[in-house]
Amino acid sequence: MKSLRVTLGVMLSLCLVLGAGAALAADTIKITAQQPLTGRFAFAGKHIHQGLADSIAYANEQGGVDGQKFEYIYEDTGYDLKRAVASFKKMVAKYSPVMNYGESTGEGKALAPEINSRYHLVYGSTSFSQELADRAKNPYFFVSGPTYAQQFGILLKYIAAHPKTKGKTPTVAFFHSDTEFGRDPIPYAREMAKKLGVKVVAEEVTAVGAVDITSQLLDLKRHNPDYCIFQGYVVPPIPSVIRGAKDFGLTTTFMGTFWTMSKMLLDKLGADGEGYMGVMPYAYWYHTDVPMIKIIQDFNKRHHPDVKYRPNSYMQGWFTGMVYVKLAKMCKAKGLPITGPNLKNMIPQVKDWDTKGFAGTVSFKHSNATAVGKVYIGKGGKFMPASDWIYLDK
Amino acid sequence: MRIGDYKESYSADEAVFRTGTVRVWMLLLFVAMAVFPFWAGPYLLYMANLTGVAIIAAVGLNILTGAAGQISLGHAAFVGIGAYTAAILTTRLGLPFLICLPLSGISAAFFGMIVGAPSMRMKGLYLCIATLAAQMIFEFIFVHWTSVTGGIRGINVPTASIFGISFDTEFKMYFITVPIMVIAVSAARNLFRTRVGRAFIAIRDRDISAELMGINLFQYKLYAFATSSFFAGVAGCLQVYILKIVTPEHFPLHESVRYLAMIIVGGLGSVLGSIFGAIFMTCVPEALQSLLSLFQGIDDKIMSYLYPLQTVVFGMLIVVFLVFEPHGLAEMWRRLKDYFRLWPFEH
Repeated sequence: MKSLRVTLGVMLSLCLVLGAGAALAADTIKITAQQPLTGRFAFAGKHIHQGLADSIAYANEQGGVDGQKFEYIYEDTGYDLKRAVASFKKMVAKYSPVMNYGESTGEGKALAPEINSRYHLVYGSTSFSQELADRAKNPYFFVSGPTYAQQFGILLKYIAAHPKTKGKTPTVAFFHSDTEFGRDPIPYAREMAKKLGVKVVAEEVTAVGAVDITSQLLDLKRHNPDYCIFQGYVVPPIPSVIRGAKDFGLTTTFMGTFWTMSKMLLDKLGADGEGYMGVMPYAYWYHTDVPMIKIIQDFNKRHHPDVKYRPNSYMQGWFTGMVYVKLAKMCKAKGLPITGPNLKNMIPQVKDWDTKGFAGTVSFKHSNATAVGKVYIGKGGKFMPASDWIYLDK
Repeated sequence: MRIGDYKESYSADEAVFRTGTVRVWMLLLFVAMAVFPFWAGPYLLYMANLTGVAIIAAVGLNILTGAAGQISLGHAAFVGIGAYTAAILTTRLGLPFLICLPLSGISAAFFGMIVGAPSMRMKGLYLCIATLAAQMIFEFIFVHWTSVTGGIRGINVPTASIFGISFDTEFKMYFITVPIMVIAVSAARNLFRTRVGRAFIAIRDRDISAELMGINLFQYKLYAFATSSFFAGVAGCLQVYILKIVTPEHFPLHESVRYLAMIIVGGLGSVLGSIFGAIFMTCVPEALQSLLSLFQGIDDKIMSYLYPLQTVVFGMLIVVFLVFEPHGLAEMWRRLKDYFRLWPFEH
């Protein structure tokens, strides 16, 4: 009984101490986050979280917004929608944040009606979904980069400008998974291809992590497209498709969007990764000629000296942090209080924002997504620029 | 302190709440449930709503598995059928919430009877595999019948509205979820006092002797499947109106396993056990999470180990509870009550 009392006493005093710590930091701009630190999305979630946390810590080092600091508060959701929504409600009630980061497209969609009508806070997330970038429907939401559809647009623009044989219409195949993530950009991509004069010769659909891809490969062989774009995968079945295509003697150039532009995939591809291309909204860790990457590397050197590499999901978190800070600074510059509705009104006003080479020159023009990306190519186990920033809105 | 518990009539002996003390406590519980939403914030109310849904679904599964002894690995699919029925009926046909609610239950019950049909020939693990197949089939349908279910994107559902009042906040939803939960729990509790409920128990305990007593096994097993799925369907309907969206991701196999865990941790065959189990499985992970967030800001590196650890701790808790009390939380509660019955004069 005595030991129970001691334990209770220790726990209570710990709560009080921690509670006092929270109370001290009252005058901060609060950013809450539901992060998938465990569960099946944890491979990216933990990096996104670190990127966001570091980006905000860096902004605070730089003096915050005229001396007013940011406070980043997060919780793990295990990539479970019910828990994510619960965590969002808990954090909103406890901290009254003006900005929030969500763990999935699903969470954004589930919370959209309430955020637009009740909570009024700016919402960024892991998602590149078109639906969440629709300004008319969801004015409080933004996508930290181009949507998947826009990423396809960027790739198709690149393809249209780089036909394999001069004077011949370039051909493309879409290779996507049978999920929302896989299907999201396809209708738009078909339209865009038509507009740009790129011929879509095949559309291959598989389950996520499909093992047997023989029939899709045979179909690819039949059409022999100049380019083939993957969507809706993380790693499998991409290595087997590329290897299989090589065995069949195809000369197709394979391309990917954000999640299939990781070091993880390039490492798995090994020698087959040479010449693998794709679109990325940000610069990579090893592009040290980019000023923002220099800043990121320097920050990591000071705070995480043992870190040797940061993947593209970290960059997503970092860029989202940059957007939060930018919106808050814009509010302050206009003499407006930093509130959810004011921050929301700033999103369409972000124009020609110089991101120090990190994500091009960003404007949220027609939608709450950046509509800009760069095409990279796999060379010696690294992604190197194959194009300059490609803007869809210009 | 109670010292005597004498009954003078059969009806007193059969009453659900047998003594004055129990009735007073129940009254207090109801008062607490009525006062709770006025005190709690949106987060606690949201958790209360989710727990309410879990209780209805768990009580349903306990009728099938705990009382009638038919193991089901497809309970989440029936919750899903209820959820999709509600979503489709309100978005396509514009039916109001009060009509969607029973229809969700009925449609789940209908499919439950179809899935239960193999129970005529199979029992035990074999039936369990048949229900597993049902889980797979329904999950596949939710994903691939895009024109009806909206595929992987799911369906966005408008807020529930009854007689012109829109139930758009957790506070308002509480007044839908909790009364329905109370009705569901009392229905289940009373079911076990009827011929049907006793037949379920007889089938569970020894199906051959049940048949000898004149119970039509197939008919009653189908009843069990239908009742259990009806509860699941109602829970699904409520879940849709709480989350405002339904996608196939909400009803995976591990959700079915979670419902099974609820009734096992709570206590098989006991209504009170299902309630405890549902509360445990819904609220303990949240409590662990809240405990962890107290440590946030001290050291990020420690957090990166602590977060994955909460899943392990939760698993261990389940194992520990089962090792120390195989009959579940309901049995622990009973022993606790017994301890306090004569307290402080236990000797």
